[in-house]
Amino acid sequence: MSDFARQQSDFQRGILAGDDTVLAEILDSPREKREALFGVYRYAYVARLVEAMGKDHELLHLYLGDEMFDEMGRAYVAANPSRNPNLRWFSQALPDFLKSTAPYSDHPVLSDLAALEKALNDAFDAPDAPVLGLADMAGFAPEAWAGLTFAAHPSAIRLDLSTNASAIWLALKGEETPPDAISLAEPCRLLIWRQDVTPMFRELTTEEAMMWDEAAGGIAFGVLCSMLATYDDPDGAAARGAGYLHGWISTGLLTGVYADH
Amino acid sequence: MNVASKLPNSPAALASQPLPSDKPPFLGFGLGLRADHYTEILEGNPPIDWFEIISENYMLPGGQPLRMLDRIRERYPIVMHGVSMSIASTAPPDFEYLQALRELAKRVEPKWISDHLCWTGVHGKNLHDLLPIPYTQEALDHVVSRVHLVQDYLGRPLVMENASTYVQFNNSDMTEWEFIAELTRRTGCWLLFDVNNVYVSAFNHGYDPHTFLAGIPEDRVVQFHMAGHSHMGTHIVDTHDHPVCEDVWDLYAAALKRFGHVSTMIERDDNIPPLDELLLEVNRTREIAGRVLPPFRQA
Repeated sequence: MSDFARQQSDFQRGILAGDDTVLAEILDSPREKREALFGVYRYAYVARLVEAMGKDHELLHLYLGDEMFDEMGRAYVAANPSRNPNLRWFSQALPDFLKSTAPYSDHPVLSDLAALEKALNDAFDAPDAPVLGLADMAGFAPEAWAGLTFAAHPSAIRLDLSTNASAIWLALKGEETPPDAISLAEPCRLLIWRQDVTPMFRELTTEEAMMWDEAAGGIAFGVLCSMLATYDDPDGAAARGAGYLHGWISTGLLTGVYADH
Repeated sequence: MNVASKLPNSPAALASQPLPSDKPPFLGFGLGLRADHYTEILEGNPPIDWFEIISENYMLPGGQPLRMLDRIRERYPIVMHGVSMSIASTAPPDFEYLQALRELAKRVEPKWISDHLCWTGVHGKNLHDLLPIPYTQEALDHVVSRVHLVQDYLGRPLVMENASTYVQFNNSDMTEWEFIAELTRRTGCWLLFDVNNVYVSAFNHGYDPHTFLAGIPEDRVVQFHMAGHSHMGTHIVDTHDHPVCEDVWDLYAAALKRFGHVSTMIERDDNIPPLDELLLEVNRTREIAGRVLPPFRQA
């Protein structure tokens, strides 16, 4: 290893692990000791990353308060050194961290709230794609509908939450007092996507969530309707399927429709 | 046959390579593009000559940032400024990053691409800071070879910026300005002279910023950065969250006298005020240049 490479290794270890080896190669300034000057880098490293986390997770920050968010952020920074040159992706593992690390794992609402914010961030700058319009559906003959398959917009993300984190998100966003966190008997099924340039989310019924997941997986409309028929009134299944589809198209959730070949 | 001497980055090959001579154009007086100002810019067409983007903020799959940038670049010249190239890192270059940078440049068609003379991490980690280097022959040779490589990869000369630093290494055997002068001479890279960073580093290390200024070749500077900082008494931290201070305005005037008409911009990264407030600072860069220099004439 060259002197230069060894020095960079020592410098980085000094920031990440608090090791003082590199101080032997650093000069005092005319006005300040080297320890304090090197401390600028040590301080800035953690502060910058926690600040970036706060920008990605404004409502989690609000929910936890400055002190707890800062403490949690420092724990995340210590456990997840950044490996991506772009700060945009630094907080990506936060929901998993909160789910698996005590004491945060004792409060599943924290991981859920982080997951919802992450999904909204990811939808915000997800790839662009054409948006299917209702007029695009007019060209298909009624007998072709059973074979139609669909492509979800690349910004669309499905999330199942075990807590009332979405209600807490809405309250915090509206600057209202959030409800107490509770665990739900049935998961809250969310669909997150970008409509034009704005990230959105809404809650789906169990039936619509099933249809969305299967449609996004390439299952044809006719089969989707048969699946819906197992959930509720079989006679109304096709109408319900058409209704869900209409809702998805009119909110920019689909990017393509393909006829059976 | 000595194969090494025939490799594109060998000292022998570099010595025989002509320096790029197409100097980027003078763009006038600009501002760092920040998301807070998108609407005001698109609705108001403010009198700003050009914008600098932080490249990483647009190295994204899609969505609003890229869409806004597409609209703004229809009206204003754009320069790309990165913070993560890590040109002085002893780790292998991040080619995935460079590829994304090249892709963005295809879309944006910037007047030039700049980054800092620094490193941001080794061993696969990124510290998201502009970390200092020793000014040694070994470091210079290393950075020269990396600048050549990246210039070849991007197919254009780089613009390298002096970073603010808080420490100096005891093994440095040249000054920062000697290092930079050699770097531009040996690679043909252009220079982004950050007036505030010179002021910050000069205070932190106890030298005269005018000595730094006098040590930079007159004909290699294509851009100035102007920014604010936080004074801690014994040292200054380059926070970009304040207006430009009077000492830095004075140094700017001196830099104009040495380097002539150089594209100048106000760089605010934190505590971002309304656009009007930054326009006052942009106007001041223009006024000082008008006072110090003869009117600009296209060559």
